[in-house]
Amino acid sequence: MASDLSRRRIRRAAICLVIFGAQFGMFEVALRTWGSSEAAPSFQGLFTDDPAIGYRLKPGARLRFTTAEFDTDISINRAGVRDDDDINTKAENERRILLIGDSLVLAVQVPFQQTFGELLERRLNAAASPYTYRVINAGVQGYGPVEELLLFRALGRQVQPDIVVETLFVGNDAEEAVASAHRLTAGSRRSRDAIRETVAIRMRRVVRRSMVLQVLRLRIASATGRFAWASGPPEPPLQSYAAVAAPRIAEGLAITRQVVDQMILEADSAGARTAVVLMPARFQLDDADYGRLRAAVAEAGGELMRDGATARFREALAGSNAPVFDPLPAMRAVPPGPDLFFQQTVHLTPRGHEVVATALEGFLHRTGLLDPPAGR
Amino acid sequence: MVFNSLHFIWFFIVVYAVYRMLPHRPQNWLLLVASYYFYGSWDWRFLGLLVASTIVDFSCALALDRSHSPRRRRMLLCLSLGFNLALLGFFKYFNFFADNLHVVFDSLGWQADFVTLRVLLPIGISFYTFVTMSYVIDVYRREIPATRDLLDFAVFVAYFPHLVAGPILRASLLLPQISTPRIVTREQVRDGLWLIAWGFFQKIFVADNLAAVANMVFDPGAHPTGINVLLGTYAFAFQIYGDFAGYSNVARGTSKLMGIELLENFRFPYFVRTAQDFWRHWHISLSTWLRDYLYIPLGGSRGSGGRTRRNLLITMVLGGLWHGAAWTFVLWGVYQGLLLIAYRAAGRVRALHLWIAGSGALARVTSWAVMFHFTCYGWLIFRARSAEHAGALSRALFTGFDPASVAISGALAPLLLYTAPLLLVHGIEAYYDDLLVVPRLSPGMRYCVYAATFYLTMLFGNYGGAAFIYFQF
Repeated sequence: MASDLSRRRIRRAAICLVIFGAQFGMFEVALRTWGSSEAAPSFQGLFTDDPAIGYRLKPGARLRFTTAEFDTDISINRAGVRDDDDINTKAENERRILLIGDSLVLAVQVPFQQTFGELLERRLNAAASPYTYRVINAGVQGYGPVEELLLFRALGRQVQPDIVVETLFVGNDAEEAVASAHRLTAGSRRSRDAIRETVAIRMRRVVRRSMVLQVLRLRIASATGRFAWASGPPEPPLQSYAAVAAPRIAEGLAITRQVVDQMILEADSAGARTAVVLMPARFQLDDADYGRLRAAVAEAGGELMRDGATARFREALAGSNAPVFDPLPAMRAVPPGPDLFFQQTVHLTPRGHEVVATALEGFLHRTGLLDPPAGR
Repeated sequence: MVFNSLHFIWFFIVVYAVYRMLPHRPQNWLLLVASYYFYGSWDWRFLGLLVASTIVDFSCALALDRSHSPRRRRMLLCLSLGFNLALLGFFKYFNFFADNLHVVFDSLGWQADFVTLRVLLPIGISFYTFVTMSYVIDVYRREIPATRDLLDFAVFVAYFPHLVAGPILRASLLLPQISTPRIVTREQVRDGLWLIAWGFFQKIFVADNLAAVANMVFDPGAHPTGINVLLGTYAFAFQIYGDFAGYSNVARGTSKLMGIELLENFRFPYFVRTAQDFWRHWHISLSTWLRDYLYIPLGGSRGSGGRTRRNLLITMVLGGLWHGAAWTFVLWGVYQGLLLIAYRAAGRVRALHLWIAGSGALARVTSWAVMFHFTCYGWLIFRARSAEHAGALSRALFTGFDPASVAISGALAPLLLYTAPLLLVHGIEAYYDDLLVVPRLSPGMRYCVYAATFYLTMLFGNYGGAAFIYFQF
């Protein structure tokens, strides 16, 4: 009798599991087919595994990325960076600027011709100069400072840059640096922490690959984030802006500094100079966004400092051998007009790219980075 | 604190965990404290009104029960009703009447200074005053004895699942469950959990998503064509249903978990074929309240045809006004009254009667479709911002239909996406004529519905935390 009951229960549990699993698959397929998201297999086809960095853009990949807000063609050239053309042998009078960064640099939301890297290239070439400039967009979705250094190492020799522009996203790069710090010493860690971290990273990757899991994760995060005494400090992307930041932010900033110093050193030995750009988050410019987030953080018992992360990065990078550029004042100074950021993503619109390109060009001129290095 | 917030979920988990550990009497104390906390989390200042209403009606009912003097009993009844109606009148209708008198005086050229107070509407006041009024009237009619236990009565009035948006419970149903020890059965836990999940689905997936479609049509500045007015009105019909039925289901579900049974408040109201049936299936606790304490005392259908029509009209106008102090609600009440009168008259015409009550497929489908559209037109009046706005939308609907202008991705697609799963489950429930059939289905079917409800709510639900529409009533 008792075994009958338990057999029935096991059968029911199995049916339940199968049905939930089948519907999971069904919703996964539906969301991937009609969801227009970065977790869609077509978009994931842009990437390929890389033993050192984890993943990279797939050389030769092409796709059309469509969402409710934009519709973009994306081409990855043979070097594995977003560009319609390949990178050939460097000409005598050619000067190359390597833009390294994350999704804000890659900018899948706008056509290649409208990315700030490409706009910068056109502006520099339009001015009277003995050089031809080539700006190489080496942004990769989801990268943090550590992956960016590793990509620089992989690309550096191939593209022979004269200037390396490390573009940090102040919103989450401190967090990303902590999460990827182990890559700097790959293979040397055998501690339980390292294993735990690897498992966490793999789990995160599993979640990122599933659209259903991604949405569920976001639901849980936003629900717990809104609930004061369950959330504690604000969600990770806002931690860098918290009046009292978590210890891992300080750790992430220290790693970022270490990465930037290393990049300067390696670039210098390859004959290139380095600059750092501090890209702001949308709410630093969007009042409505800021009001909403500030209220959410206040509800969670914290305090949001609007430019807190920019200030922290500036402070962390003070005294480094690379000039640091903050495009925030230039972005704030633009006259009223179309938005600088998309509404459904936190990325730049074509107008945002234009503003950043103009400001960046001014910065490169002001700091003398475009002048030929002395003695060369 | 709204049901669709984590605040409520944590509140309920804590209350429920303690509740299950306590014996009967302390359980009632816990329910009272929890209910006052629930109500006070909106605005603690209005707790005083709730407590005052509880004490006045408890005392009046007790005195009514003890008294044998008809005169004294009538006086006590008037005292209680007067107190409750004064509360409602002041907090809900003062500014409405003051503003309208002002307009009338102005139009007559009379100068008069009217005081307009910034009166805040205490949440749930229409619900709990109706609950306490029905109790005192029942005691007056000697249909139930007055309770001698103030704690039980206070729990009956303030019981948090139904406090702010109903169902409007009768003492005969709830008081015995409060005053006697409760046993929570396995079936109650299973059904309760399903009702809570289904209620959240109705609110978060159906109502809150369809709100965007309805707002596109009803918001200021919108100039929709007739076809889009129609789609926006359908969307609002399912929004208000999902919102209110969702609330009622969460209320019933949480009550079941505590071993307390509440009334069914909705029973497939959009599947009906007559206006009379609609009110037997929509907001059942309000319509039965209006029937028992207003329509029947007015004479109901006992007198001449003219008198019955008058009673219907008065009842529905007051029912409309119960929803809020606005002319659109009055208009909606008039419309519902006229609809009831028209269907009553139609039932006497043989051909129409055969059509409305006929069992043939064509008669069933067409009479259902006609009634559904009459209902939807009522919602257009209800949701409009003013009588003029209702008129403008009606003009667009009847004279500027323009089918080619249909907003496919903005209105039609979301309407189909968000109503189809609801209608599918209601189809199953209606087939078995059982609102709680899902937990009783075969395991395969049951888990299919559970899984779909879970995934749809989690993946496509609207988590903006919108308040329930009926809170404002």
